[in-house]
Amino acid sequence: MITESRPRTLAARALNALGSTPLSRRKALWGLALIAPNTLGLFFFFGIPVLMAFSTSVQEWNAIKPPRFVGLDNFERLISDDKFAQALTNTLKLIALAVPLEVLLALGVAVLLNLPLRGRNLLRTAYFLPVVTSTVAASVVWTSILQPRYGIVSRLLEPVGLGETKWLVEPGLVLIPIAAVAIWQRLGFDMIIFLAGLQSIPGELYEAARIDGAGRWGRFRHVTLPMLSPTTFLVVVLAVINSFQIFDQVYIMTLRTVPGGVSGSATTLTYFLYRRAFTHSEFGYASAIALVLFALILFVTVFQLTIQRYWVYYEAEEG
Amino acid sequence: MNTRKVTLLLVVLLSLVLALPAHAQEEPVIKPLPCEEPGKLTMWVWDEAWAAIIGDSIEAWKAEYCPGAEVDIQVQTWANYWDLLKTNAAGGELPDVFNMSQPFFFFYADNDVVLNLQPYWDEFGVDTTIWGSGLIDPYRWGEAGDLYAAPVNWDTIAIFYNKDMFDAAGLAYPTADWTWDDFAEYAAALTDPDAGVWGAAVYAEYQAGYPNWIAATGETPVVDAARTDCTLDNPGSLEALNFLKGLLDAGYMPTVSEAGGASPNDAFNLFASGKLAMVAGGSWMLPQALSDLTFNWDIVQLPKHPETGRSRSIVHAVGYVASARTANPDLAANLILYLASDEGQKFFAEGGSVAPANPSPAIQQMWIDSFGETAVNIQAFVDATVDSQGVTPFDEIWDVMNSELVVKIFDLGMSVEDAVAETCDAINAELQ
Repeated sequence: MITESRPRTLAARALNALGSTPLSRRKALWGLALIAPNTLGLFFFFGIPVLMAFSTSVQEWNAIKPPRFVGLDNFERLISDDKFAQALTNTLKLIALAVPLEVLLALGVAVLLNLPLRGRNLLRTAYFLPVVTSTVAASVVWTSILQPRYGIVSRLLEPVGLGETKWLVEPGLVLIPIAAVAIWQRLGFDMIIFLAGLQSIPGELYEAARIDGAGRWGRFRHVTLPMLSPTTFLVVVLAVINSFQIFDQVYIMTLRTVPGGVSGSATTLTYFLYRRAFTHSEFGYASAIALVLFALILFVTVFQLTIQRYWVYYEAEEG
Repeated sequence: MNTRKVTLLLVVLLSLVLALPAHAQEEPVIKPLPCEEPGKLTMWVWDEAWAAIIGDSIEAWKAEYCPGAEVDIQVQTWANYWDLLKTNAAGGELPDVFNMSQPFFFFYADNDVVLNLQPYWDEFGVDTTIWGSGLIDPYRWGEAGDLYAAPVNWDTIAIFYNKDMFDAAGLAYPTADWTWDDFAEYAAALTDPDAGVWGAAVYAEYQAGYPNWIAATGETPVVDAARTDCTLDNPGSLEALNFLKGLLDAGYMPTVSEAGGASPNDAFNLFASGKLAMVAGGSWMLPQALSDLTFNWDIVQLPKHPETGRSRSIVHAVGYVASARTANPDLAANLILYLASDEGQKFFAEGGSVAPANPSPAIQQMWIDSFGETAVNIQAFVDATVDSQGVTPFDEIWDVMNSELVVKIFDLGMSVEDAVAETCDAINAELQ
């Protein structure tokens, strides 16, 4: 019967895919019409530029003179460019600094705010506030908070002799405040995901664990953590991707001292890419950097997807 | 003394007395010309206040020199200006006439998107050497040094000083003849660590900072005019930077962190709050200084290098340029001629704050008078235009020399020699 109902032309097949009855087809068309503006916008302002990045990456183009095909020169240059290596190292350092701390803190806050505390909704909102605050505004405020001598952080650290610390200038320190602000800004979002995950854990499991004699830590270790692992996986993947793309904090927090950090110490891959494109007018080279960044993120994400079966526990699999 | 000598002296004196004011008041330095054929032009500026002033002068141009012409002035804010200009240049859609800044000109000239105005200067009979060299040299391009822009304004640097502090220390006020040695002595005498007062802050950033001191030694700061060589490791540069570092190490100047940031505005705020006796500041600070400063203060030209005897200010002039692809090059050039002329520049002179580039003494006096009754020696900024240094660094090397070098030497305590070696490495990588 299936063969009979299979439509012959492509158009008919497409129409059929929308639904089997005229009514459901009309509904589906409505749906398509409603998502069309967004999809078209995404295609023209995101899809096409992404595709163009591929062709630009094999060209030399300063945005004014006609582009010139240079083959893989841009990628060859990347390999021997010390500044690219530095930007990559800085980005990896930021990931190492930010991701574990961000995930642990978000989990801790979520677990605490999942307890029946008084005013927990207010606290949840407070933790979420940085997420909806403009990164630029937040970074400007943090810049003054971190100022040596005059900033609040310096005042607080004065008793331990760190009042004169040049957080945003010292090449060895500058990634710490950038990671801290990035964590501070993403914590609320991660917390919400964790909270949703926590609330979907059935209460019977805790009850059963308690009957079996599990203490507070035991319940957390053997019920919460495994049940939460799909959520944790999602949070980790997103945190890694976001850390790869840290830009605003670097741009704003180093703007008033040395843009990109002294000797490039705060330059991340995205910031490096931006400078090559918009300061040095090397759009071909910048596109090559963008593609490498894309490949890196893709690789890391696929890697995470591969190893998840060793630690992520999906309820359905147990049947 | 014989009579012939006396007569000769009298004749010379008389001719001087007669010639000077007559030249200054009656003969305009640049005369506008009627346009040949009116048409439509678009124009970009990055400042609202400028747009209003330029708008007024364009109305006068249309009324008196080019009836029937239309000019569409658009303000693109500074934050977006250069990205927009670049993308529009890429699309071949540049405005006919637009404002240009010296460090950015290099890129647009190199990509052949700005119109060579030299044939027009020749045709209009404008001697381009009337402008201070620092105002126009960065807008010259090509083998013959053709001038591609008309300067709109100038910004020079001088020392703002707190007269009350000089009085308290029993020091005579500095004059334009002071030298680096005098400056160092004053800085030492005015420093009072107990009161948290520093003698001076003069190193921050390119335009108001250390490059002025390098220029006084006779060296072109940062890169030479041909943009082939980093000059920071030359003897003059090392001397100037070490002189400033010496004042910092002696405690007469605040570090970047102590000043609250690497911008000259941070140092100026310190000056305004009475924590600093002398600060290097641009002429653009005048309106704010006149309205905000609560103590007695004055302005003096930068001190002279003891051996060269020169005080040289970095000067920056915004320019008017035309697009190489404009449909109306003659009309665009005619408008630019008017905007640069005495008549067109009058609008800037009367508006105050923005100092007009036109060198006519009458125009310059009009600008000084626009600040009203004041005892402040505004003339010091005008005098600084004479022996001035235009901007040679460009966008690609801006941050390494504008802030990074400053932070390395004046905040992280790196030696001048090590810091300039690193900076020159970075700069040389961009010079080819």
